[in-house]
Amino acid sequence: MTTPHDRLYFVADFNVELLARQLSNTTLPGIETAIAPSGPVIAALAAGPPAPEWSAIVWTRPEAVSEAFARACASEPADHERALDEVRTYGAALGRFAARARSVFVPTWVLPPFERGWGMLDYRPGTGVAQLLARMNVALADAVGDVPSVFVLDAGRWLACAGARGWSQKLWYAAKCPFAPPVIELAAVDIAAALDGVAGRARRVAILDLDDVLWGGIVGEVGWSGLALGGHDHVGEAFADFQRALKALTARGVQLALVSKNDEATALEAIDRHPEMVLRRGDFAAWRINWDDKAQNVAAVLSELNLGAESAVFIDDSAIERARVASAVPGILVPDWPSDAARFREALGSLRCFDSPFRTGEDRARTAMLTEERSRRSALADADSLDDWLQSLEIAVTVEALAPANLDRAAQLFNKTNQMNVSTRRLSAAELAAWADTPDHCVLTFRVRDRFGDYGLTGIVGLELTGSRARLVDFLLSCRVMGRHVEETMLHVAVAHARADRASTLAAELLPTPRNKPCLAFFARSGMRPVSDYGFEWDLSKPYPCPSGVSVADHAGVATSIDP
Amino acid sequence: MMDEDTARRVVYDAIDIVNQQLPASKRLRKAPETVIVGAGGALDSLGVVNFVIAVEEKVAEITGAAVQLLDETMVADGSPFHTVGSLARHIAARPA
Repeated sequence: MTTPHDRLYFVADFNVELLARQLSNTTLPGIETAIAPSGPVIAALAAGPPAPEWSAIVWTRPEAVSEAFARACASEPADHERALDEVRTYGAALGRFAARARSVFVPTWVLPPFERGWGMLDYRPGTGVAQLLARMNVALADAVGDVPSVFVLDAGRWLACAGARGWSQKLWYAAKCPFAPPVIELAAVDIAAALDGVAGRARRVAILDLDDVLWGGIVGEVGWSGLALGGHDHVGEAFADFQRALKALTARGVQLALVSKNDEATALEAIDRHPEMVLRRGDFAAWRINWDDKAQNVAAVLSELNLGAESAVFIDDSAIERARVASAVPGILVPDWPSDAARFREALGSLRCFDSPFRTGEDRARTAMLTEERSRRSALADADSLDDWLQSLEIAVTVEALAPANLDRAAQLFNKTNQMNVSTRRLSAAELAAWADTPDHCVLTFRVRDRFGDYGLTGIVGLELTGSRARLVDFLLSCRVMGRHVEETMLHVAVAHARADRASTLAAELLPTPRNKPCLAFFARSGMRPVSDYGFEWDLSKPYPCPSGVSVADHAGVATSIDP
Repeated sequence: MMDEDTARRVVYDAIDIVNQQLPASKRLRKAPETVIVGAGGALDSLGVVNFVIAVEEKVAEITGAAVQLLDETMVADGSPFHTVGSLARHIAARPA
């Protein structure tokens, strides 16, 4: 799912042309690729990529990076600590290169599968080549660990999956590429997934069937106590293990939802009461359990979660249902699904669509947030009016400047917010930090909580000051808090900051996309003066009022002292 | 020893591999008359090397014996590598 804007630069100390061709002709057709001129990798890293918007693959052989490792490979006396120093030097060069690139992917170092080194001593510290290479890979990951735009990819997994056919000594002798097509294919799909993740195209929800997907059997026929799930049974164990894998996915920020043809009460009873269920009701962000068309139910779940089909994966054991949803919900990913439950975990693990470049507190807390959201909705049902409910939430907004501590989450929000997003800029963490560091630029982050819990960092405002004119370059808000007066609060703070900078006008120009109509609707009702179909202005001689019932703590400047 | 039909399928499997490296407009057709090496062929030198090694791998998978096809005579006039059909006949004619 590449875009014309994806550009990939290759730096390698072997012939990487096969990988470049695989990516540009099959895995990511249309992607623009370029290969660094042949020569030392260090020189290519020093020269940088063609332009900052290029991502890069930097793939080297360990013996070319570390002279000490090359000596170890030749069974000559080798200083292992020196090899690690050489790796750290190389890591520093990677870091400097990454500062000039959009993102950088670095496959780990591997040995040919036939290479046995010192045999039974090959993992002995100070002796073994395999042990030294493992330490070098860890040292490399450590050396670039603080560089958010560098991602170390596990080439060992590609080689393990490809088996003996993954390495071709003949291809190395004849064409100076040691990696045979099976490894090239696996590398290409992992790199494509990484590019998707960096560009904010990772999938965010897995929509699951129940019968013969989360458990074995038809719950409507055998009842919850008759289901195959857990216990001393290999089929039941496979289903329980699959649930554990799904649960682990939620820790990565992926939401789970259910679409099942069943009686809702019967299915929920199984989820609540079966002692071997790993996933409980609170693990699911939404569900439609009824006898209606599954495609319509999938659409309803996505609507409830404020997600587009391109954010979703649909998992069902029925080929007919899979075909129906795939054809009726364009953009959704519907993987082929094995009939044998023992292969479910492997099938889930092979999905690269959930790969995200971030691991944020918001992702880890998502399940708790779902529970809190259900409490809010329950309170809404009991409230006399929407306004009463909003007032009762006791919303508190904390404003902070962009900082290393919130950079990952801010970049994540930049790359996955569609609806309330004025410009839909997609920026990597490094690009966002660089933009914020530019003179006359300011990036404000908004954390939101209410009496039910913490929504986390959910809003961002990017301001640019040109003379007396302030421009709202970025205005984006997670759909989780849309319609809860946070939009107005963000505008209140943006106006206050622009007034503090002595600007006279705050301008917002919406770049329309198929998904950001809610943002246009907000500006249209915001009270800002429309100056064109998509342009709005605020006269900064007056503050923008803070919504009643919302408290603001502004740690990013003087705004609240000017416009309390 | 391998019969000609099996040898042709081996060549087609190798075409599947190298086609992933080619733009859609230049992909090799799975047909006996498709040119592999020589005038009218779509593969450059890296593509030819990758293709021939893929054929070697496939033959070894089926027969259990390593074969050596990659040599400099591949690109000579009258080389059995000129088309899919001639290559399949060449593979089938090799002694076991």
